[in-house]
Amino acid sequence: MITYRKKELENGLTVIVNRDRVSKLAAVNIVYCVGARNENPARTGFAHLFEHLMFRGTERYPDFDTVVQMASGENNAFTNNDYTDFYITLPKDNIEVALALEADRMRGLALTPELLEIEKKVVIEEFKQRYLNQPYGDQNMLLRSLAYKQHPYRWSTIGVSPDHIASATLSEVETFYDTHYHPANAILSISADAPEQELFDLAEKWFGGIAPSERVIAQIPVEEPQCEARRCEVERDVPATTITIAFHISGRFTPDCFAADMLSDILAGGDSGRLNQRLVKDQQLFGSVNCYITGDIDPSLLIFTGQLLPSTSEEEAEAAIWAEIERLKTETVSDYEIEKVKNKFEAGTLFGEINVMNKAMNLGFYQMAGHLDLINSEVDIYRSLTPQTLTEFAARILTKEQSSTLIYRKKE
Amino acid sequence: MEISLQNATVHSCANGLKIYVLACDEFEVLRLSFVYGAGTVHQSAPFVASATLNLLSEGSETLSSHQIAEQLDFYGSYYDVNIDRDYTYVNICSLTKFVEPTLEVARHILLSPAFPVAEVENYAAKRKQRLAIERARIETKARERFAQSLFGESHPYGISSPTEAYDTLTRESVVEFYRNYYTAQNCFVVCSGKVTEHELQLIKSLAESIPMGETIAPLEMGEVVRTPYYKLVESGAVQSSIRVGRRLFTRTHPDFLGMQVVATLLGGYFGSRLMQSLREERGYTYGVVSAMVNFASEGYIAIATQVGCEVSDDALSIIYAEIERLRHEEVSGDELTMVKHIIRGEMMRILDGPFGVADVTIENILCGADNSVIAQNLQLLEAITPAEVLQLAFKYLSRDSLVTVVAGL
Repeated sequence: MITYRKKELENGLTVIVNRDRVSKLAAVNIVYCVGARNENPARTGFAHLFEHLMFRGTERYPDFDTVVQMASGENNAFTNNDYTDFYITLPKDNIEVALALEADRMRGLALTPELLEIEKKVVIEEFKQRYLNQPYGDQNMLLRSLAYKQHPYRWSTIGVSPDHIASATLSEVETFYDTHYHPANAILSISADAPEQELFDLAEKWFGGIAPSERVIAQIPVEEPQCEARRCEVERDVPATTITIAFHISGRFTPDCFAADMLSDILAGGDSGRLNQRLVKDQQLFGSVNCYITGDIDPSLLIFTGQLLPSTSEEEAEAAIWAEIERLKTETVSDYEIEKVKNKFEAGTLFGEINVMNKAMNLGFYQMAGHLDLINSEVDIYRSLTPQTLTEFAARILTKEQSSTLIYRKKE
Repeated sequence: MEISLQNATVHSCANGLKIYVLACDEFEVLRLSFVYGAGTVHQSAPFVASATLNLLSEGSETLSSHQIAEQLDFYGSYYDVNIDRDYTYVNICSLTKFVEPTLEVARHILLSPAFPVAEVENYAAKRKQRLAIERARIETKARERFAQSLFGESHPYGISSPTEAYDTLTRESVVEFYRNYYTAQNCFVVCSGKVTEHELQLIKSLAESIPMGETIAPLEMGEVVRTPYYKLVESGAVQSSIRVGRRLFTRTHPDFLGMQVVATLLGGYFGSRLMQSLREERGYTYGVVSAMVNFASEGYIAIATQVGCEVSDDALSIIYAEIERLRHEEVSGDELTMVKHIIRGEMMRILDGPFGVADVTIENILCGADNSVIAQNLQLLEAITPAEVLQLAFKYLSRDSLVTVVAGL
């Protein structure tokens, strides 16, 4: 149970606070509601590049990291398709340092062409390190571009290619900053051992003076329904072939997405999951298998993936995955399996609530998604799912016509 | 802000095993860690130590691998294992309300693993593939080669076995390894979270059932063979993975803390010298780190980064130049103060919550210390001067003492 209070400042900034009575640390998290889905298709990777630039200093604090570090703090950030998240943890007595820094860089970034050039190089090295110079590094990129044809989820947060990053200009960067980085497009969440009102007062003190800007409603292309099976086969220099099958489901916090999440847990949550027990242990077809939802805000994906053992043919492997999918449609899931997933969910929630960082980050995420109320009651939704709901979901969604299959083949 | 860490309450079992208790009763969870002196240095054939550890939960005398996995997952209990060169760690987390059934499964895992032949074979096939994938990564190649360059290709701290050696893994070797190393004499337990008398009795009853075992003879580590420079050419690489460092000493050495400061200055945080010069000024890399690494009887300092192949030589000269700068110029008071703040902050973050407290306690026990060592070390850290940092860098990081590995182009 995460207790919280929420308010909106006059300039539109949403503030959510949690009092943690144990930790000596404070966590300050800020979400900007902008991610790769807001990008121009000719400038993919831009939201992530911009996240990097947020560390390049302002007039008041030319060296962001030094200030954090002098306060014994640690900070970082991440970008995904839906949003960008910045976080700092530090001794709770230093909490104002974090607030001062975040408030300052919300509007005060001092960028130069030189800084942009260096940061582009850093991000291009990140592109190489994580996606190009890595076995299976481009697998997810290929899958996205296969499963999505219109929606910007068709590219990864790193972008389509290093060229897109290289061509970003300073004026584009400034426009992006003005459009997306302002109070009405941000959520500040704090977890620390201090009275909630005191945390609100601090938020007001540091952020209250920032001038408001208008919130721009994003115009995101809608993905058209898929009516026929899609397939992509590539050959790469990797030690094992992998097969991935993706299905379109609706966005996070919709009934279908909860059903898909529950099914993915029954199939692949822990070693006892069906896929591991049947396909890895009993039939010994795969070295590893997984099933998960992407859980994005807009219509997302349910993904099955497995790494073939050398003795397994592609046909056998694909058929084995489909056999498990068919079982979901014909046999009802047992109450035991459902109870197991619920227990796991409860444990995961409790283990996750142990530190201030997770709490602040979760508060920001649920608010960004428009479902802050579910942060403590999501488990009830899982509890309310019946075996029949899951069977119905599987029959309606997990069809060949709505599938995208990627064969990532080992080069002989 | 003061950082102090509670000392664990120690309970001794009849078989000699010690249970260290760190009670934080406000959390409705229990974490139990069993630490065994059963790391890879002890194995007589490739992959036996990790296989024994990983196969503990793959079937007992009366429960199948599937049943064990089912029971752990059913209660939402979290089970994981880790291995390093010296030790293995079996961690079990449970919600307080499910501690009893979770420990019942733990009893099967720790006391009566059966290591079924079919499980051993399936495990070997899967791991072989996983290792092949891991070794396709350039940073893995550099890391493994670096250990060989520091200690020697057949030294227990340097050796890497070929992937094919999984084909020769036998059930007998695993069973024997388990019998010899998973004993009370070779183990201790750390528990944290909600530990009332009730939980303690359950844990004791489990720990007391671990057989005492035979005394293990001290290891012969063999001679260290150092390779100053090694280049692994990887055609088709777009980045080179670089490792620079040298063999030093264990955590108990009087210069350890000082060298930890040196490592932090170089590459231990986001604004470190190497991050500044390689990433922030030149955009050569996504990241660079340096750290002190510990084994039970050795230790080393390592700098690691991945850079575009075209700037690999330049990056390497910058790394050497930054090391030389530390050896010849005193660090400013401000920079040193910042590093001290960073190390303190890091310690606070690790100690936030019962799981981190347990991890730090384990590390202290392995160094023969109790938890008061944390406050002592922080005091020693405060006292370190720029002159001492200069002296240590000068003494330990001369160019000809360094070991370098480049994997890439």
